[in-house]
Amino acid sequence: MTSKQLLTVKGLQAKVDEKDILKGLDLDVKPGEVHAIMGPNGAGKSTFGYVLSGRDGYEITGGEVVLDGKDITEMDIEERARAGLFLAFQYPVEIPGVSNLEFLKAAVDAHREAQGLEPLSSKDFLKEAREASKKVNLPAEFLKRGVNEGFSGGEKKRNEIMQMLLLKPKLCILDESDSGLDIDALQVVAEGVNSMRDGERSFIVVTHYQRLLDYIKPDYVHVLSDGKIVKSGDASLALELEAQGYSWLAEMREADPEEMHREVSE
Amino acid sequence: MTEEIDKALARKYEAGFVSAIESETFPPGLDEEVIRKISAMKNEPQWMLDWRLKAFAAWQEMETPDWAHLNFPVINYQDISYYSAPKSMADKPKSLDEVDPELLRTYEKLGIPLIEQQMLAGIAVDAVFDSVSVVTTFRDKLEEAGVIFCPISEAVHKYPELVKKYLGSVVPQKDNYFAALNCAVFTDGSFVYIPKGVRCPMELSTYFRINEQNTGQFERTLIVADEGSYVSYLEGCTAPQRDENQLHAAVVELVAMDNAEIKYSTVQNWYPGDEEGRGGIYNFVTKRGICHTNAKISWTQVETGSAITWKYPSCVLKGDNSVGEFYSVALTRGKQQADTGTKMIHLGKNTRSTIISKGISAGRSNNAYRGLVRMNPGADKARNFTQCDSLLIGDQCGAHTFPYVESRNPSAIVEHEATTSKVSDDQLFLCQQRGLDPEKAVSMIVNGFCKEVFKELPMEFAVEAGKLLEISLEGSVG
Amino acid sequence: MSFWLDQALAQAELSNDCLAEHRAKSLEALRATPWPTRKTEAWRYTPLLSLDNSVIDEPNDNIDYPGSPEGVELIELFFVNGKLQSNINVAVEGLTIASLDNLNDEQQAVAKTVCQSAKPSRHLFGMVNDVLAKQGVLISVADGSDIKPIIRLVHLQNGGQSHVRHLIKLGQGAKVSVIEEYRGEQSFVATSFSEFDLGDDAVLNHYRFGLQTGAAKALAGCHFNLANRSQMHSTLVSFGSVLSRLDVDINHAGEHALATQNAIYLLADKELFDLHSNVEHMQPHGTTEENVRGIIGDSAKAVFNGRIHIHRYAQKTLAELNNRNLLLTPKAEINTKPELEIYADDVKCAHGATVAELDNKALYYLRSRGVSEQDARIMLNFGFINELIEQMPAEPLCEWLQGELRTRFGDLRTQLSVEG
Repeated sequence: MTSKQLLTVKGLQAKVDEKDILKGLDLDVKPGEVHAIMGPNGAGKSTFGYVLSGRDGYEITGGEVVLDGKDITEMDIEERARAGLFLAFQYPVEIPGVSNLEFLKAAVDAHREAQGLEPLSSKDFLKEAREASKKVNLPAEFLKRGVNEGFSGGEKKRNEIMQMLLLKPKLCILDESDSGLDIDALQVVAEGVNSMRDGERSFIVVTHYQRLLDYIKPDYVHVLSDGKIVKSGDASLALELEAQGYSWLAEMREADPEEMHREVSE
Repeated sequence: MTEEIDKALARKYEAGFVSAIESETFPPGLDEEVIRKISAMKNEPQWMLDWRLKAFAAWQEMETPDWAHLNFPVINYQDISYYSAPKSMADKPKSLDEVDPELLRTYEKLGIPLIEQQMLAGIAVDAVFDSVSVVTTFRDKLEEAGVIFCPISEAVHKYPELVKKYLGSVVPQKDNYFAALNCAVFTDGSFVYIPKGVRCPMELSTYFRINEQNTGQFERTLIVADEGSYVSYLEGCTAPQRDENQLHAAVVELVAMDNAEIKYSTVQNWYPGDEEGRGGIYNFVTKRGICHTNAKISWTQVETGSAITWKYPSCVLKGDNSVGEFYSVALTRGKQQADTGTKMIHLGKNTRSTIISKGISAGRSNNAYRGLVRMNPGADKARNFTQCDSLLIGDQCGAHTFPYVESRNPSAIVEHEATTSKVSDDQLFLCQQRGLDPEKAVSMIVNGFCKEVFKELPMEFAVEAGKLLEISLEGSVG
Repeated sequence: MSFWLDQALAQAELSNDCLAEHRAKSLEALRATPWPTRKTEAWRYTPLLSLDNSVIDEPNDNIDYPGSPEGVELIELFFVNGKLQSNINVAVEGLTIASLDNLNDEQQAVAKTVCQSAKPSRHLFGMVNDVLAKQGVLISVADGSDIKPIIRLVHLQNGGQSHVRHLIKLGQGAKVSVIEEYRGEQSFVATSFSEFDLGDDAVLNHYRFGLQTGAAKALAGCHFNLANRSQMHSTLVSFGSVLSRLDVDINHAGEHALATQNAIYLLADKELFDLHSNVEHMQPHGTTEENVRGIIGDSAKAVFNGRIHIHRYAQKTLAELNNRNLLLTPKAEINTKPELEIYADDVKCAHGATVAELDNKALYYLRSRGVSEQDARIMLNFGFINELIEQMPAEPLCEWLQGELRTRFGDLRTQLSVEG
């Protein structure tokens, strides 16, 4: 166990619309690790990503979140992003009228500014953007279109990965990035992610199915249920879950809440 | 296909009978003397007469509004009688036993039995016949809860302080031409006061009946819901089938104090005139409520009657967090004309309003929605949502939408949507293919179109409204 | 009555030109028309006091010409203070452009048929323009001609009064693109009206850039007649001024016609802009799509009235109108009224109007990528407008206009970045 942590989440509690969703979530991520978070619908998987990113309406009511040595819970959304946190959305929003290119340049420049760097020249940026779009298999003309405007589900996901490539975050959270994708698109997403694994950058892969984990090999797999991590293990746990489904969680809760608690603390 | 729909719509007006009641009726004409006479008939205190005369003076200076999408001849106000009451009511019957049985039969025929034992439990009724209130039921039971429900002419005597304080406080005397006229000549109507914290134990209801020929009905309703109270109020109206037009100009004022809620439902079924546009009621109504902090006023209306409808039940959302709602179904057919809608005036912070309007036009009728949503500078974070849908049946009618949106607050959100459609051949075909006759099919489709509004009506009224729109009446085809 | 109108009419000379009859008719009608008050529905939110109450600057011809869009072939005509600046010299087959004060017999005949054919008589300042406009051009496109160059009519004004009328006729199957561009910041009065008469199967791309600001008093109209299967695509961009009013009429006089119109207003300071749009579907199978968007800052005021009228005979019409507004400051004001008047049952019509804040989801998305809230707001505001700009058929024009708009957004920058 090295002492260096990239992300430390301790006892995280959060509510949405007056409803408690996260109820004491613990997670440690070291540089270079890939963590998968799995769990049934409604467990709080997407909420976790939104809370980490600072989305309005997702209120932290307890616990702490430390990214790269800094408490991020009081930071604005964009400050967290510039601090190296990237959330790839399950359903990226369409923003007609704002071109992808304009948006990406503003984002990249904002990141650079936070790092004390000069903005990229338009020429250099365009070069980078073209390379990134090529990597995720998006035709360059998509750069000129409105952000996600009229993109198919797969194109939106690839656009997310492209942004990740350009922004070079420290921690990437992929929120159900596999949902609604065919195998080809899934591979593109996975390749994008894998190409960014460099021993320093970490990933949290949130997914309902094991499928994506065939392509992005996790170091750890966690099961999230009712706002808490209830079970952790290595990659084999994902296969186990795939075989068993999530119904055992309910049984476990009904059978003995105490036991579940013990398992968490293990 | 249209022909079948038309047939389906050509239903009979069931409330069109005349009751043989001997009445004392003023001769037609309107001047100060007439107003003094009305006031004298009601034995009113001087302040009430003065108030009327002031309104009359103002009315004489005003002009008939011409902005509505309506077309009707100039009304000669001297041809109308302004007071008519059954002679039997002159002695002020003390109980139901003393009331003329013919009057009771009239209401029974309309489906409103006034004998408490026969009534639907949970509804208290004030029955207004031409210019007077005939009876108000369940008053004892309401009094136990501290609820005042009585004819407004009685409230003037019994609760002068409340009446003085609130009458004209929401709809000022000079608000508009018809309101001013009403202030001058109103005869009866209901007064409701719900004390602090009281949830009115029964639905309150007023049933208006015009019977006498050539009379106008000018009713006045005032409902005050004190802090934290709740009341649901229903209003129904019918009139005999006659070839002449008759005037109905009412004013309704609602006051919802802090945390109070008023639900006001109307099923308006005045005589609409015949297929050729002969006869029918001219219905010019001013309805408005004021909401104080956290208060809520909800207007629901089903408008199927009247030759002319000019009516805009509105909410002044004065208090922070107050809520206004307007749910409306307006059905016009024959040569009916309706220009109806609402105004939502947002003054307070976080005020919210919802407008759902369903207009159905058939025959050679014209049906217009007219609305105003205003966000004043103080209405931070206020919200409005408006949905106006029109259904056209046949190619001789008109459906119109005139929404005014005025916003002066950058944090306020207003959304207005309007669509128009017809009963499509595809829909009809599907229903018929499944074995429904076209009349039933149209009725189903129209009812489905109105569903969002019907669900807001109290149950008893929802049934009546459904029946009114239940277009497949036996014998109406062929 | 208005002092301004009296003075303006006193100068009316009913000279004996080809439009004299038209002028006389309108003069008579104008004299019978009451001056609008707050109770006049068409002027409910737009007071005309500034016409009578403000001092008009002296015009001078020392005026800066704006740059031209690049990458597109243009035929440019400049009007300075209401006067055409140079002789018209156009050699494009199928295209005739002639100054209204210099028409030959044939052209006069065309002018007579187009004038007051698309513009209804009810517009007050349209009548004023009927009476007073002596300047302007007649553009006539021959049957079947596809005119490649875009015709750009640039109007610059720095004082005085001007009355300009353009009459554009497209023959059967003719195609042409026309830009009307109006600029000026000083105190002046301009009435500027254009009428477009489209023959069967004709296609018109129309742009109207009303970029006056400040003390300008700009009263204008664009009016279109659509014959069978003709198409018009129109983009209106307007800044406000102390008094800016634009009346638009689209008449579906033939069957199967198509009209798309995108309108944008971008207001600052104490500016006012009032757009009254009226679409008449008189024939079956017509299609209209209208998108109107505005951003209103400072203590500016926007007025939009969009009417769609479906006549009894106009079955199978498709008509949609959408108006969206963003208010930037507590003193900004919008008054919008989308109207439907429908007398035919087998039609699909819808309208919508919103006054709203920026989309919170989009704001979150941009911020989650590290863009500051301030920049994200500006980006989204620009995007809101830009979405319509990008629909313009000529790409070089988009780029040119985006530049113009960015300057305007620069002026509004602080407000755009603040939460409403």
